[in-house]
Amino acid sequence: MTHESLPPRPARKERLWTWMLVPGTAWMSVFFVSALLLLIALSFGTTDALGNPRFGSTLDNVIGVFTPTYLRVIIRSLTYAVAASVICLVIAYPVAYAIARHGGRYKNALVALLVVPFFANYLVRMYGWQTLLSDESMLMTWLRHLGVSASFHILDTGAAVIGGLVYGYVVFMILPIYASLERMDGALIEAGRDLYGSSLRTFFTVTVPASRAGAYAGLALVFLPAMGDFISSQLLGGPDNLMVGNLIQEKFFAGQNWPLGAALTMALMVLLLICMFAYLRQTARDAKEARR
Amino acid sequence: MTTLVAAERELAAPQAPPAGRRKGSGMNRKPRFAIAVTVAFFVLLYLPIFAVVLFSFNTKKSLTVFEGWSLRWYQAFFNDSELTKSLQTSLVVAAAAMVGSVVIGVLLAFGLVRARSRLGGAANVIMLIPLITPEIVTGVASLMLFKGVGLQPSLTTLMLAQTTFSISYVTVILRARVAELNPEVEEAAMDLGANRFQALRLVTLPVMWPAIMSAAILIFTIVFDDFVLAFFTSGVDPQPLSVRIYSAIRFGIQPSINAVGTLMLVGSLVLIAIALLIPRLFGRRGNSFDLFGG
Repeated sequence: MTHESLPPRPARKERLWTWMLVPGTAWMSVFFVSALLLLIALSFGTTDALGNPRFGSTLDNVIGVFTPTYLRVIIRSLTYAVAASVICLVIAYPVAYAIARHGGRYKNALVALLVVPFFANYLVRMYGWQTLLSDESMLMTWLRHLGVSASFHILDTGAAVIGGLVYGYVVFMILPIYASLERMDGALIEAGRDLYGSSLRTFFTVTVPASRAGAYAGLALVFLPAMGDFISSQLLGGPDNLMVGNLIQEKFFAGQNWPLGAALTMALMVLLLICMFAYLRQTARDAKEARR
Repeated sequence: MTTLVAAERELAAPQAPPAGRRKGSGMNRKPRFAIAVTVAFFVLLYLPIFAVVLFSFNTKKSLTVFEGWSLRWYQAFFNDSELTKSLQTSLVVAAAAMVGSVVIGVLLAFGLVRARSRLGGAANVIMLIPLITPEIVTGVASLMLFKGVGLQPSLTTLMLAQTTFSISYVTVILRARVAELNPEVEEAAMDLGANRFQALRLVTLPVMWPAIMSAAILIFTIVFDDFVLAFFTSGVDPQPLSVRIYSAIRFGIQPSINAVGTLMLVGSLVLIAIALLIPRLFGRRGNSFDLFGG
């Protein structure tokens, strides 16, 4: 059981771990990769007289994405998603910082408190905001009593959509930032102060760089789902603030134009891949710098 | 085993000292601004949920005026056979996706961390794509795939789609945990006469178990609550709860939605509580909130 059995082990081990990859890789190839390929193929397709999708090699759908109406919606989605990500970042830092560094023994309870609403159904939460922000709701009546003018609406505005996105995804920003702040050595902050840095300066020169990886992760985790969201715009934004997701949904259900829907989905995907690529390059560069 | 526990302690330890020292050192004064933002944030975070819960007990059909307490919307929910059937559907789908994705995800996590072959790179990419794909794209693509092979939207398509989507999540969570494992412990077990599978089952799996359970519970709640993927891959007849809620919201005010939402929230809370208790039940120091991989 000593020397003879040692040499063959690494080889066997290697094969076992590789075999463990097989079921997952096979499953994902069949149900995910092939579905994506089908999506790409169909965006060059056409519909027959009954509205059924047919494969083809037309560029009509891809060109159709660039009509002003759709382009406007795509740019709007991009604006909303970027705005939501930035707002999430601004909210997440103080919250994560307060919990990680000053939560004391309530730290875990506060994190749990943070995550609980995220487990309430997303639709129901948006519906909660919809009822809260409707013109005759208690909240709005109360605001009017405080002197807000009667022409002031929140529901059915772009701001409401962005607010909904922030509300829906802010947890994804707070958790990674919290994780990196929590791992950070508190002595670093004290050192910053010992060297006569102001609180603000210490925050930007010590705390922010130490948690940059968390912030980047958070930005990706918020931006991606926000770009594809269609609930917030549908329930809070009204008809004038539609996002790409609403268009896609409409093409697949109400409009029954699958190839155009596929092309729109592709456009969304390509846009996100460009953002992801930039993001990955940035994080790789940061990691290299950190190693130096 | 001891090195693992020691490593875990070490990871958990640095949180403790600052709390105790805070009073003495002037350096650690409380940042009022951050705390004010946090308080305001928590108020806004719970405001709509509070509204939903409150109005689920309203006597009137109104969603703007609270008149008095009653349970009529809960009765309405449980007397609605369509809604309870939807609830059942959601539970079944979540359970199926949980079991499927955890089994495949555990294997993938070990394979990704430990395999040194070309398949590892490919598996890594394939597993990560769903995470950078917005759900609506996954939904649309799955819908096309199922239509393409002649599968009508049904319970089966819903389960397949949800499992696929869950595998990536589970794998990412568990892989972080596998990477933390000390392989030398397994080597030691094998030097003491265990074979590879015994070492995995008797040494590694017990350490992994809390993370696996947490990942399972997390994925169950995510799938149960999921709307977008369910919307694209479910059919008309067994319709999951979230999709039914969606149509109800679109076709006018229905206070029973508040009751459903409240019940779903309570269910999730119970599950999270269980997820939090698991590390303690398994004898580890229940220090970290392990839902996100610890």
